[in-house]
Amino acid sequence: MQTSQPHGEGYAAAGNFSPDAVAASMQRGDGGFGREQQTYFDHPILRKAHWRWEIVAYFFAGGVAAAGYALASLARRGGDPADAELVRNGRYTALAGSLISSALLVKDLGRPERFLNMLRIAKLKSPMSVGVYTLVAFSTNAGFSALEQARIDGLIPLALPGFITKPVGALTGVPSTALMSSYTGVLLSATAIPIWYTGRRHIPAIFACSAATTGVALQSLLLALFGGSPRTAKKLETVELVASLAEAALLLDWERRAGDVAKPLFTGKRGSKLKTYTLGLGIALPALLNLGSVLSRKPPKKHHRVRTILTSALALYGGYVLREAVVYAGRDSADDPRAYLRHPE
Amino acid sequence: MDRAQNNDTVGAEQLPASKMGFFTDVTLCIGCKACEVACKQWNQLPSDGYALTGNSYDNTSRLSATTWRHVAFVEQMDREVPADSRWMMMSDVCKHCTNAGCMEACPTGAIVRNEFDDVYVQPDVCNGCGYCVPSCPFGVVAVQPKAGVAQKCTLCYDRQKDGIEPACSKSCPTDSILFGPIDELQVKARARVATLQAAGKEAHLYGVDGEETRDVGALNAFFLIPDRPEVFNLPPKPVLPSRFQPAAYASALMGAAAMALVGAGIFRRSGDRA
Repeated sequence: MQTSQPHGEGYAAAGNFSPDAVAASMQRGDGGFGREQQTYFDHPILRKAHWRWEIVAYFFAGGVAAAGYALASLARRGGDPADAELVRNGRYTALAGSLISSALLVKDLGRPERFLNMLRIAKLKSPMSVGVYTLVAFSTNAGFSALEQARIDGLIPLALPGFITKPVGALTGVPSTALMSSYTGVLLSATAIPIWYTGRRHIPAIFACSAATTGVALQSLLLALFGGSPRTAKKLETVELVASLAEAALLLDWERRAGDVAKPLFTGKRGSKLKTYTLGLGIALPALLNLGSVLSRKPPKKHHRVRTILTSALALYGGYVLREAVVYAGRDSADDPRAYLRHPE
Repeated sequence: MDRAQNNDTVGAEQLPASKMGFFTDVTLCIGCKACEVACKQWNQLPSDGYALTGNSYDNTSRLSATTWRHVAFVEQMDREVPADSRWMMMSDVCKHCTNAGCMEACPTGAIVRNEFDDVYVQPDVCNGCGYCVPSCPFGVVAVQPKAGVAQKCTLCYDRQKDGIEPACSKSCPTDSILFGPIDELQVKARARVATLQAAGKEAHLYGVDGEETRDVGALNAFFLIPDRPEVFNLPPKPVLPSRFQPAAYASALMGAAAMALVGAGIFRRSGDRA
């Protein structure tokens, strides 16, 4: 399949001169097409999103923050006193993650000073609008629980009263956390870009699993660095194992079902990077290293710090590579008119 | 419903009797690019540079944030029977869809349907999030980096408000571009198709009631084309992105729910033991 891409980075700035297009025309010799013409000079039909690293990092940070908040809530509900460090770290990272996410989202706008225009309407039909309100609700809850934690830790004398925080948390806590971990997948799937819309049954679930994998990895990393109970570490390793294997299974299923349309993601340089850093070093290797201690029936005595730091760092990087690959694969998919013309659904 | 929602910019009594739009007839276009130039001049769009693509006479390549009319040049050379060769030109433009993907995607409400039933980006509201760009099934709207906002054909909203026709159709020397009420244009277009087909020529409409309108509905800027749509870089079956949302949200919620159950199970079980 031949794909000329005369509209690379800086196309608008540099004008539309494309050596590739000239070379292709010279090669044809007759300066045109016959009646069997398939495309218009292989020019893209669709236009790619301008999204750069900010959006990739936003997707990543949002997932990590959501998983941090979810873990803190679940651990607190579980009631194991050994998990106290996890609750504290989870609450603080959720707030930090939501602040970083907001900053990245604003920075990516063409007119950052108009960020608040996103809040002038609410629109269920637009995943971007749903996402902004998700971010607002999630950040609010994360802020409340971080304040509460700061009060418990003695950093501040008193936090917000429960009659304010509790109803907000009860109404928006679960949906905003669930959406925060996965709506970014909906954001990509609900576009006209073939690789994204054909992956609509996989991308959001993969992002949710990856949010769990990376979020747990960050909590494991924090516990290994700043101290925590080995029992908590083992629970985290178990969650990470299940989440990462689900993520790998979904990714492989997507590749198997998608066929040609997903080539920009699963083949070439991007494909080998995805397979090496996400599937290999980010999922398979940590799973192998942690499998022994997860399956062992004895209560864990020792915290394997070095192993945890290594596997967590690998899982985090793998998660970042996944978001980057899926977002940037959309550029190539948009540039390939044949992918859209075949119209797989 | 969308139309009613977006009428807050104008009084309902100002609504024109009919939807206004373009009918672009490829068989009449001579490729003079007067429409491109008139559009650039009237809308004060900056130059795209002086560059040659080597693709026939098409040095604009495609619609962009600063090119709202684009003339495509299709050379179909037949080496065996040179007399069968065709050289076709088509002036492409924003389709102003009935169901507009860009408008559905816009989180700020900057993209509205105006009183002429055309899809309009309010430049003072748009914050340049860029989500309309991959959501357009025709690859039309784009973010202009210097302005930082999304831009596309306005169907000369300013001229229409003063009761004059858009710059491109005004400047078209062969009336390949016609402007007017959609229902009248469709009648003219059907008559033209009948004339051409009676003369034994291939001709059909794009954007009136064909397969291409399945998702996006009838187009307020529609075309008469003498070949398959993809020959002119038009998608034969443009998709409306919101159609994919139910499956995507289902996937998102199933993924998130599964992860929450795993976490809850593991943390509760160990909690009981402690």
